[in-house]
Amino acid sequence: MLIEDVHKAYGQVRAVDGVSLRVEQGEFFGILGPNGAGKTTLIEMVEGLREPDRGTIAVLGTTPWPRDVALLRRIGVQTQASAFFTRLTAVEHLRTVAELYGLGPDAADRSLAQAGLTEKAGTRVDKLSGGQRQRLAIATALIHRPELIFLDEPTAALDPEVRRTLWDMLRALRGEGRTIIHTTHHLDEAEALCDRVAIMAGGRIVALDSPGNLIRALDAPTRLSVPAGRLSVHKAEAVDGVARAYEEAGEVVMETREPGRALVAVGELTGLDQVRTRTATLEDAYLRLTGSEHTA
Amino acid sequence: MSTYTALAKANYKAYTRDVTTMFFTFAFPLIFLVVFGLIFSGQRVTKGGLPYINYTAPGVLSWGVGNAALFGVAFTMMHWRRDDILRLIWRTPTPLSSVLVSRYAIALGVGLVQAVLFTAVALLPSFGLHLSGGWPTGLPVLLLGVTAFMAVGLVVGSLADTPEAVAAIANCVMIPMAFLSGAFYPITLMPHWLQDVSHVLPLRYFNDGLLNAFSGQGGWGDFGINCGGLVVFTVIFGAIATKTFRWSNGR
Repeated sequence: MLIEDVHKAYGQVRAVDGVSLRVEQGEFFGILGPNGAGKTTLIEMVEGLREPDRGTIAVLGTTPWPRDVALLRRIGVQTQASAFFTRLTAVEHLRTVAELYGLGPDAADRSLAQAGLTEKAGTRVDKLSGGQRQRLAIATALIHRPELIFLDEPTAALDPEVRRTLWDMLRALRGEGRTIIHTTHHLDEAEALCDRVAIMAGGRIVALDSPGNLIRALDAPTRLSVPAGRLSVHKAEAVDGVARAYEEAGEVVMETREPGRALVAVGELTGLDQVRTRTATLEDAYLRLTGSEHTA
Repeated sequence: MSTYTALAKANYKAYTRDVTTMFFTFAFPLIFLVVFGLIFSGQRVTKGGLPYINYTAPGVLSWGVGNAALFGVAFTMMHWRRDDILRLIWRTPTPLSSVLVSRYAIALGVGLVQAVLFTAVALLPSFGLHLSGGWPTGLPVLLLGVTAFMAVGLVVGSLADTPEAVAAIANCVMIPMAFLSGAFYPITLMPHWLQDVSHVLPLRYFNDGLLNAFSGQGGWGDFGINCGGLVVFTVIFGAIATKTFRWSNGR
């Protein structure tokens, strides 16, 4: 998938403002960004639902606009608004979609099982829980075994357990060599799954790299914390290698750029029991890059 | 299995599982038929003319069928667009014609069932309808009527983005038309200028066509005018519908 200098405006609003990126076959690519950053518009242009004002898009070697039926057979899209056929059961919905792709009912049953919804086959789509709807939406996107998969916030309404199951499912898809483009608000998810992520803000890409490189580029301090009674802030500031110390939520937090040295020194002072270390995460990188940083 | 049968099945299940729609499609017009039938029982519109039931039955039928075709299609289009079902279909290799033809098949089926049901009730001794031998000319009229009102429904369904808007627009179209076209009130009893005005309304042709079929009135000329009128409305609203159709409620 190749995007070159793509622009799209709605009236005065520049939803997508000069985006260029390249996603390789077999890659697990994340698009992160706050609401209104232009993620959805970008994906709608890539799948051919909207025409870019300017710039070129090539998906699997062809242009998606205008509607290209041959291309549509090779891509699968899951959207946030779960679109299901009215008043049908889960399996009836999937069988209808299967038929629209020219597939038999076995494709629907397989997709249902893959999403772990076999037990809910006979439940009406309007009676499914939020998480079940989300999984049915993913099953709908995967029914025709697409090569390129777009997932828009696939785990938004899922509880942690189901979320992890879905991660396994997504990893398996990638293992089959399929390309996945994934938008999410869950930074831990992007960190755990994506080969590379693009961070969008205000219709532009503000960073594009692997999660590891983005975090390293932050050059953020490591934080050590101990329960507040064990060490005073004053003493903590004097610890070897610690740049800054403060108290927060019942813990004394020490910021350091030399975590090894500081940890040894803290160990000598209080013992290492209950000492927690926290390094920068993709979330820190994200907050800094999107300019929505709330903490120092 | 083609995309057309898949959508027709999905439509059919959605339709038959919706109690409210079933009520407004089949029971609601029947209430009008019963009320009008009982009020005007045994009366004739003009001295020596046709019994009232010969006006009431085709009137309620044409209005009921037109109403169901318009509302049904408009609601489906609005819902499918609002709930992104049209987008889901768009993403599959389904042609737009399958979406429309499958919905058309449902509308025709509904119209046919309504026609059988309402006619059967009107034929009961307490209502006293006698069908003329010319009733089969009502079938092409029924088909063209469903088509014309479905075309109007497509336009309404594209203009309206909420159920409230569909109901408001469709009611504004259908309720005045019920009276002005002679469906609820015999056209011959209306002032002449209103009778002339009614020729710009599709229900006038639909109602006249069914009235003639039920009572064996009018010749092939009238039949041609009524069918032609419905075709003209289909073409006009069909053309508007192709201009206003949207796959999604985009900005």
